[in-house]
Amino acid sequence: MARNRTPRRGGGGTAPEAGFESIYGLTTANMYGAAAMRHMYEYGTTSEQLAWIKVAASHHAQYNEHALLRKVVTVEDVLESPMISDPLHRLDCCVITDGGGGLVIVSPEIARSLDRDCAKVLGQGEAVKHLHGGKVDLTYTGACWSGPTAFAEAGITPSDIKYASIYDSFTITVLETLEDLGFCDKGKGGEFVADGNLISGQGSLPFNTDGGGLCSNHPGNRGGMTKILEAVRQVRGEAHPAVQVADCDLVLAHGTGGSLGTRMGSATLILGREDA
Amino acid sequence: MSDTTRQGVPVPSINPESKPFWEATTEGKFLIKHCNTCAENHFYPRSKCPFCHSLDTVWLSCSGEGVIYSFSVMRRVEPNYALVYVTLDEGPTIISNLIDCDFDRLAIGGRVHVTFRDTGEGPQVPYFTPAAAPR
Repeated sequence: MARNRTPRRGGGGTAPEAGFESIYGLTTANMYGAAAMRHMYEYGTTSEQLAWIKVAASHHAQYNEHALLRKVVTVEDVLESPMISDPLHRLDCCVITDGGGGLVIVSPEIARSLDRDCAKVLGQGEAVKHLHGGKVDLTYTGACWSGPTAFAEAGITPSDIKYASIYDSFTITVLETLEDLGFCDKGKGGEFVADGNLISGQGSLPFNTDGGGLCSNHPGNRGGMTKILEAVRQVRGEAHPAVQVADCDLVLAHGTGGSLGTRMGSATLILGREDA
Repeated sequence: MSDTTRQGVPVPSINPESKPFWEATTEGKFLIKHCNTCAENHFYPRSKCPFCHSLDTVWLSCSGEGVIYSFSVMRRVEPNYALVYVTLDEGPTIISNLIDCDFDRLAIGGRVHVTFRDTGEGPQVPYFTPAAAPR
């Protein structure tokens, strides 16, 4: 226990908020920790439930030869890993790697001339969330706006989605996003992700079948790109056979930027097969 | 204690909009903004009300009392430190650190009050400490 000390983090930055934030040692880990802490307080979410998100990612990563962490882990492994910032353990946190990706987006005319399956953009939504003048709520994300916008454009509902790529800087990021996108009721994310419900071939919503940021890679601030790549693989039927979702006609990819603890951006993309 | 603390107190960056806030800290006051048009209090302090966009905003001196909305103790670095979101009795939830307390006995909903530490370069930085913490 440390007493009578204040964090030695000073500094500037030019944002209007900088003077009120940089002096308090805000990091991604402790802001998301505070979000998890509040979610636990309001909804009874547990560290065991959060751990299931990492467990599911690790089950998928074992089949990805490019994943940084390919070892399958258990709930106990997550809970026994060192505490980083309460209540997030090391295995609640994503990896940090190099990497990148790109997308080729073409018109329907060009798509018809190509000799391989394409994913069709069915709907998209974007939203920002911030501290709202001090009316702070850390238990939800901008996905509560970007999600419904994307679903409305696509003309489908969350129950139609066969596979979801969910940006996963931390386990809590996934849990809040799943709730906000409507895959379960608000506050029920813990129950939803538990017991392997996110594992391909086992659960109702296979997620991040490349291992995601929690196990495979997280290139700088570009974690969203890799989410789209795996969603495209799934809808094309080109994911690893061990994690390919059967009859995968409708998929979702969701990216989160900024921080749940201050200012964030959310983007939801819904893709379907070419004939969707 | 003050010597130990001063070494660790970072100096905030100050801009024209936030200058009155930091000047007030030298008098041990924690200011937020109040909007005369929509009657909402807000923080961070803005010239223009973030809720109704009115320019008729005024400074409001707070009690410095509030409750822990959420917190997280950073265990990865030494010394550990506690990030906190405090909901002030006047309404807004703000970001700070909890100091002078047992990090293993913190709880959401616990009452805290503001305490200032000297940066040695003018402004004082507001922190929070539990109301019933052993001193």
